[in-house]
Amino acid sequence: MKKRVIAAMLAGMMVLSVTACGNSAENTGSDASAPAQTTESADTSGSTEEAPAAETAQPAGPVELTVTTTFAGEDTNAQNYKDAVKAWEEQTGNTIVDTSATADETFKMRVATDFETGSEPDVLFFFNGADANSFIEAGKVLSLDEIRAEYPEYATNMNEDLITDSLVDGKKYAIPVNGYWEAMFVNTEILDAAGVAMPGADYTMDMFKADCEKIKAAGYTPIAAALGNIPHYWWEFAIFNNQSPANHLEIPESVEDANGQAWVSGMNDIKELYELGYFPDNTLSATDDETFAMFTDGKAAFLIDGSWKVGGIVGSCQSDPEDPSTLDADKLAKFDVTYVPGKGSRKATDLVGGLSSGYYITRKAWDDPDKRAAAVSFVEYMTSDDVVPAFAQHAASALKNAPEVDPAQFNELQRKSIEMMAGVTSLTGAVQDLFQGDCRVSTFDGMPEIVTGRVQAVDAVAEGLDAYHNQ
Amino acid sequence: MGANIYRNKKPVFVFLVPAFLFMILYLYYPFFKNIMNSFMHIKQLGSSATSFNTPWYTNYVEMIHDDNVWTAIKNTLIMMVVTLIGQVGIAIILALMVDNIGRGKQFFKTVFFFPIVISATALGLLFNLLFLYDKGMVNQLLEALGKSQLTDWKAEGIAMFTMMLPVMWQYVGFYFVILITGLNNISDELYEAARIDGASTLQSVRYISLPLLHNVICTCSVLAVTGALKVFDLPWTMFPKGMPLKSTFLTGTYMYYHTMETKNVDYGCALAVLIVVLGIVLSKVVNAIFREKDY
Repeated sequence: MKKRVIAAMLAGMMVLSVTACGNSAENTGSDASAPAQTTESADTSGSTEEAPAAETAQPAGPVELTVTTTFAGEDTNAQNYKDAVKAWEEQTGNTIVDTSATADETFKMRVATDFETGSEPDVLFFFNGADANSFIEAGKVLSLDEIRAEYPEYATNMNEDLITDSLVDGKKYAIPVNGYWEAMFVNTEILDAAGVAMPGADYTMDMFKADCEKIKAAGYTPIAAALGNIPHYWWEFAIFNNQSPANHLEIPESVEDANGQAWVSGMNDIKELYELGYFPDNTLSATDDETFAMFTDGKAAFLIDGSWKVGGIVGSCQSDPEDPSTLDADKLAKFDVTYVPGKGSRKATDLVGGLSSGYYITRKAWDDPDKRAAAVSFVEYMTSDDVVPAFAQHAASALKNAPEVDPAQFNELQRKSIEMMAGVTSLTGAVQDLFQGDCRVSTFDGMPEIVTGRVQAVDAVAEGLDAYHNQ
Repeated sequence: MGANIYRNKKPVFVFLVPAFLFMILYLYYPFFKNIMNSFMHIKQLGSSATSFNTPWYTNYVEMIHDDNVWTAIKNTLIMMVVTLIGQVGIAIILALMVDNIGRGKQFFKTVFFFPIVISATALGLLFNLLFLYDKGMVNQLLEALGKSQLTDWKAEGIAMFTMMLPVMWQYVGFYFVILITGLNNISDELYEAARIDGASTLQSVRYISLPLLHNVICTCSVLAVTGALKVFDLPWTMFPKGMPLKSTFLTGTYMYYHTMETKNVDYGCALAVLIVVLGIVLSKVVNAIFREKDY
């Protein structure tokens, strides 16, 4: 009988310990997220009941904010972001838990999943196109109007015409910092070795192919691209080359209509370049990092990529990528940036670009009385007239009073970027930002099958459009 | 009364309940939910299922017509054979050799077992560097030996070899340790008697070691084959999205691809069901083939 009692007690203790673990975990979480609040409550126990009324006030003590951005990896602004976060932390006493990552499909999926499972960050710097639809539809981020109802000065330094409207409800949610452009980076050392002139504003696809032939004959790889990993830039411009800035952002109704045919022609243009042997030998099995290394190591001549890649190229010219003082200026001088070869109605100087990302404040942070003011303060700081120019550099910003940029503060590739951007005739958004989800699979993940002829371009485009219209 | 307490098994059930509840909550409930989800439409990861697919078995029909599913099944079966021969086979040879040396047994045990303690993702990244097309260690060695053309170790024809080599290498030590423990359990008297009767070392291995290791080898084989069904992290690190040309998909990586990359979550659920069915069938077959003997 005694043993039975002991057994029952042990079982009871086991159940209790499991329950206790659960409770202690909850307590720990709460303590960890608001250590200052505990102190505050202890000090002013009499006023605890009134805490919600103080929602609009500045946080009483240090607050820990979780922030997710795309300023990571080879992004040009990765270091600027770290510096700005540090400055804000020193200024306010708050701390940032940074969960930034390189902006790729996995990152987008992670953000979407975080929102779905309720583990979204407090502040998010993210795309403002179709990628943001799911969490805007779910009401998990605040519109500019909602925030301004309590903080009337919020983002008033921005030109509102340049803040992109949501595709869901037409409201403005994301406060932009820096614009982006996509253009063609050039390794001029290879051009010199192959006897090819630096491409200019009148560069056409036929001229490009002739240059690629010379580069290939000289023993170099003409185009640095991993078609099996990141075909995105070639996808965008190949389609754009069969359209014009006026209709590039129209998603075809079907593969049969004019836009649909333009998409098919775009895919076939990439296939032609592949068959001509202008991509790396391992383009179907390489990663984007590998082909980028080919470009910076002087083995591939052309690289179509975004303005964020300027930082990556500069970093590759530094003996310590984290330390700008270790920059090898001679090596950097061998890189240039120019327009993407044009075709038909699209001139080479018609580029893809715009203000495609911005800061969101999540409802989770807004509903937390300790975090609301801190989140607003953080976004206001990161989008202030002082901080934005450091991020915008050679790209556009949405500031009403953008300060004059002193070219002397930039490195040579940044200066070349500014010169290149001065000659741009139009900037159009990326149609792939509107073409999200599994509709992309047949032409993005399926690019190797298209270029090798295992799948017809027309079938791949039709499959993608069907998936898009059935979403 | 005192002796009866040992016959009363009720307290045992009390202790089993927490573990049982844990399994129900974190294994069986998600498993049955997954089966349900494979018939439903799920917009993206994390979203709840909204309605049944039309028709409800759409995903299973699609699976039959999906060439990549057949590629994944074929690759998984190849992986099983490779793990069986490459992991257990090599482990047997290594164990027999180490068992026959006088000194340094412990050293070899540690050396061969070491890869097990490294994470598969880290190993994937390591082998990525070894097999890198440009400046990879293997290509540099081949270049030093006079090869003029770089080899793309991740090209379609050779990718499966490149993927299976590190998988095989990683687990050899695991089976090696099990087998050498089995060898240690064989009485020295048997070997001594064989030596007195004039048996050579090879004959001792053939007629004493291998027969007495039979059950251990069977256990290792079952573990290797069922383990091959679960291989995921290293292949995904080295060959994401079934690169190149979707030729390196395994059942696990293909399920992950649809769930996490293409956002086709319900199809991923159907693939998960396929993996479970495949696992049960193959386990039965392997258990039937490698049946342990009673001595």
